[in-house]
Amino acid sequence: MKEDFYKKIFDPDKISEKPEVLEGIRVLELCNVVLGPALTDFLAEFGAEVIKVELPGIGDVMRTVTPSFFYYRNLSPGFEEQNHNKYHVAIDLRKPEGKELIYRLAGKCDIVVDNYRPGTLDRWGIGYRQLSNLKPDIIYVACSGFGQWGKNALRVSYDAVAQAESGLMHITGFPGRPPIKSGAWILDFQTSITGAIAILAALIYRRRTGKGQFIDVTQIESAIRMMDWTWIYIWLTGKDRERVGNKDLAIVPSNVYRAKDGFVAIAAFTPDEFLALCSAMGREDLKKYKNPEDRFHPEVLEEIDKTVSKWCEEHTCNEIESLGEKYGFPCSKVLSPEDVYNSEHFRARRTVWMLEDHLYGELAEVQAIKMSETPGRIKWVGRPVGFDNEHVFIRLLGMSVDEIKSLEEKGVIGKWSDRKGSSPPEDWDGKAGLFF
Amino acid sequence: MRDYFEWAKSLTDPAKVHEKPEALEGIRVLDISYGNFAALFASSILAELGAEVIKIEPPEGDIARKMTPFGIKHKDTGLAFLAEGRNKYYITLNVYTERGKELYKKMVKKSDVVIESFKPGEADELGIGYKNLAEENPRLIYAAISTTGSFGPGVKKMRSYDIIEQARSTLMYMTGEAEFDPEVPEEYKIPLREGNWLGWYTGGAWTAYGILLAIFWREKSGKGQFIDVSPCECLLRHSNYFLQYYHESKRVVPRSGPYDPAVFAYTVVKSRDSYVFIAGYSDPNWKGLTDLIGRPDLFERFPTPKERLVFENQIEMRKEIEKWSLERESDEIIRLVQEHNLDETKTGTVVVGKVYSPKQASENDAHYERDILKIFRDPYYGELLVQGSSFSKMSETPGRIKWLCRPIGADNVYIYAKVLGLDAKDLKLLKETKVI
Repeated sequence: MKEDFYKKIFDPDKISEKPEVLEGIRVLELCNVVLGPALTDFLAEFGAEVIKVELPGIGDVMRTVTPSFFYYRNLSPGFEEQNHNKYHVAIDLRKPEGKELIYRLAGKCDIVVDNYRPGTLDRWGIGYRQLSNLKPDIIYVACSGFGQWGKNALRVSYDAVAQAESGLMHITGFPGRPPIKSGAWILDFQTSITGAIAILAALIYRRRTGKGQFIDVTQIESAIRMMDWTWIYIWLTGKDRERVGNKDLAIVPSNVYRAKDGFVAIAAFTPDEFLALCSAMGREDLKKYKNPEDRFHPEVLEEIDKTVSKWCEEHTCNEIESLGEKYGFPCSKVLSPEDVYNSEHFRARRTVWMLEDHLYGELAEVQAIKMSETPGRIKWVGRPVGFDNEHVFIRLLGMSVDEIKSLEEKGVIGKWSDRKGSSPPEDWDGKAGLFF
Repeated sequence: MRDYFEWAKSLTDPAKVHEKPEALEGIRVLDISYGNFAALFASSILAELGAEVIKIEPPEGDIARKMTPFGIKHKDTGLAFLAEGRNKYYITLNVYTERGKELYKKMVKKSDVVIESFKPGEADELGIGYKNLAEENPRLIYAAISTTGSFGPGVKKMRSYDIIEQARSTLMYMTGEAEFDPEVPEEYKIPLREGNWLGWYTGGAWTAYGILLAIFWREKSGKGQFIDVSPCECLLRHSNYFLQYYHESKRVVPRSGPYDPAVFAYTVVKSRDSYVFIAGYSDPNWKGLTDLIGRPDLFERFPTPKERLVFENQIEMRKEIEKWSLERESDEIIRLVQEHNLDETKTGTVVVGKVYSPKQASENDAHYERDILKIFRDPYYGELLVQGSSFSKMSETPGRIKWLCRPIGADNVYIYAKVLGLDAKDLKLLKETKVI
């Protein structure tokens, strides 16, 4: 009955009937790679109209970033992951007429997101200083590795630079083994969600006061911010934080264990969860460590960890998960992309979001939080370079066909090159997927 | 450039933060989570942006206060809780009693946002779930955080833990030492967690984003809503192209340690004194990197991603780069790279970062200059090194820290008087009946 209530308010079949919270908010994306494009992607998922500006020809670098040189109907998965629901135009920003076009577009936008090296767009005359003169209530987010000012402002950065310099990489890995960089570009994404939060706060403030603002978000600061107890611990103890594999120094037990047929994560900190785990293992003797604070003692910790480890080796992931449910301790198999892809649960929640794209056919995307009134949605996926030139320049800017032609001839605007990742699928009929 | 940096700093100068307005002033948030740092991070973000966050704990305190490295406490508070205690008000309330429920409902009626981390269904069983609360306050924005979320065929009644969120995100499966590197001992070729509470911090950021979207929507429509957050789904959204690539190729990329399946060079190598991350993966940047290390032969042998994405080649190229880096200190490498990048006669941009331990990172004055690390003097907890707000560089409504944390129930008098008009006699009775 109660479960039905949630099924009803989150009914996936009703998503397309519901409103989009950011409808009417227009965003100009002057970005490349992941941090920046992911930020506007998070806005586009909730209804913002994102105009992504790329260089004519090869476009965004991510169009050619793909594992093992794999393309899916000319689409690179590395580009696909953070480019949904956007309009793709190609403008050469370095040409005077290109700048002129940016002014015209920015004049019709609420938000500008930039991830060029700090100061670059300002030097080109299309940074916040110039655009805010044109449109004072614009909200401008500048994304970078180290910030728009400060002693490292000139340094170039990628995700892993911030993983390295924050100390995050140092605390990831096994003791006595090298530090490990994350399997994903986590700080590009974390900084993007940080920027998206800042934009929403700025939109709420703008609605109240009419004022726009300038926002500076960085990879290194996202990393430092999310390193939980690290800084207070260093301050109070004078000690460093080291890598400890899959253990958690602040939660006992919490670890990843080898089961018969895979790996399983188990955590049981509260007394009821810990007692449940002991019962499931048939280890009444360990119930004396019911109080979580008693479990931090190195010998106790070791005893519990070894016991759980040994017990897991004798069971399959499924068995452990069933026992977790039966007795009441949290656990889960370590899921592979294949596991998640095939999971009925993630499909039913539309976390694994299947769609039939006009250009690329059947695709699988990811949708994160579920909102009952204004759910996020995936409508289409990363389109070829300049694919929406006509749609944007004619419908939004009211350009004539002649003007478009002339700008094309001068190389101010353009479309894809024949390079993989920037062009439509090879069997494209010249029409499919076009909005205009 | 100088002019740009000075101007950018004048807009977002940390010294002026406290003179500026707060974006979320007037928004009241109840955080009734238990043992959950996704929720605590979400409410920290809202509190940094000016919301009035009331943290509701059971009379014995939130068990999150006990999740602390080695069990270390500072003034009876765990270090992780101290890091996420900022700007909040602390009250106690036992919602497992009838009177407690009644008071909670009254509080909710006068609030804008609730954040909770009950096991799915638990709040409804107690009669304080979204359905009941929204009937009395249709403007209520309600965020529920749990591992499986509140609906779907795989809903499980378990509390959320970071290790389990990481395990279910695919990121853990994809992070760890390189499976294809013959020099890595077999026992280390296993899934690895990110060293911080990445699952929780990612889930927390998305919770805050959902709440702000909902506030924005409510100002337009007058309607509140339910936000269902599963932190592992948020982390899945940050996990590159893993799911898309599986759908398209039915393959899973291997765990890659210091390598990357989609780009090279994007790698970690040893230097004379530590490790450095070094990158140059597009063709011109790879050319730049091979020029920098004086090995144009590497560029000739591996000129395109086709050659560079072959794992055997990556192992070989990395070894060659490491020969160069092992002869130099990390700081020297960073200097050489910067010189290369600023020299316009050189090809390509090389990106580099030094792998710092957290303690070394905490000694970097750049982080204090940018106010992302700060020694904060709290009235109760004294001087502590903490992470600043990642929203502190918003020009009009910067995020900020006002105080670090408060003991259990420290704000009972103020909040119960302010919100519910309870006087000394009322509170005495509540205390006697163990409601607070």
